[in-house]
Amino acid sequence: MDPLKMKQKINSYIIDSQEEEIKRIALELHEGVGQNLYSILTGLQFIESGTQEPAMKNYVREMELLIGKTIQEIRLLSVELHPPALTTLGLLPAMKSYIKCYTSTFGILVDLNSDGIEKQIPEKDRIAVFRVCQEALMNIAKYADTSNVKINFFWKKDELKITIDDFGKGFQPKEYGDSSGLAVMKERMLLTGGQCVISSKIGEGTSVEISLPLE
Amino acid sequence: MSQLRELHSVIQVCEQLKEQISCEFVGLAMQNEGSPDVRWHYASGNLNDKYKRITVRFGKGIAGKIISSGSPMMLEEFPANIAGKVTDYPIMLAEKLVSTYAVPLFFNSVPKGVLLVGKREKYIFSEQEQEMVQDSASLLEQLLMGDIL
Repeated sequence: MDPLKMKQKINSYIIDSQEEEIKRIALELHEGVGQNLYSILTGLQFIESGTQEPAMKNYVREMELLIGKTIQEIRLLSVELHPPALTTLGLLPAMKSYIKCYTSTFGILVDLNSDGIEKQIPEKDRIAVFRVCQEALMNIAKYADTSNVKINFFWKKDELKITIDDFGKGFQPKEYGDSSGLAVMKERMLLTGGQCVISSKIGEGTSVEISLPLE
Repeated sequence: MSQLRELHSVIQVCEQLKEQISCEFVGLAMQNEGSPDVRWHYASGNLNDKYKRITVRFGKGIAGKIISSGSPMMLEEFPANIAGKVTDYPIMLAEKLVSTYAVPLFFNSVPKGVLLVGKREKYIFSEQEQEMVQDSASLLEQLLMGDIL
């Protein structure tokens, strides 16, 4: 086999295995740990309703709040690992849901627009595109020094094009050409048969252009 | 609670602290009424308004860790030697903070808020400065007691 094809096959296998494992852990957290904590919360609410002593009632209420916070965190962690919407509803709803979480985590506003009719994408490609967008948004939170991001989805007959513009401080692409994060974004899109092009200009921001061929 | 940033006495305590220890940023995060969400309700020396949209994740970042542990925390040179990922510290990223010291605010013996001071350079907050932050936190606890309980 051609060494390049072999390398791509290995990369694809490693990524797929990792995604499977991530999905399993996310589901286990949500359906297992999360559900058990919810049962504990219901039990505490039952105890609280049967307690007359104010100090004890207050203590149980505090425990309920703590369990509530933990449930919320488990849910967020699970969604962060593998958004269920990605499997059930598709790429665009998953992105919308992720963006809500992103804004409340980093305070960065994201304007998401979709042009054209959303098409069905194989799950493997859906995950790849989602992860690349996620990586781009994480890079923006870490380095871009911006409050606004614009994401555009263009659904064409045979291609999905996504542009992510941050209007931030930008960087010198030549200096960060070897960055593993950027290389992984490009490699992941190459494995889907698509492309990821990153361009940046100091003072003007960074632009990520993702394209995915549609059957 | 949503009008906390307009509370004159709270603003006064925060501004005074900022001046006393010559820091560049002071932030006050509080748990929302009837919800486990913790948000930044007041900031001084902020570079943007991202703090208003940030919800502190329980156990994550400097404020989240303080609320879950109830203990003060100091970062001298962010992101060096941090526990977890850089993205677990949104307020540090949003405000470009490099050093910070933060203490919990207790209500009914439960940590429900965080007072954070920060600088945009490498810095170690002295014991005296740490005490000043603690004193301001105690003052804020008294001022906000009525809003929380």
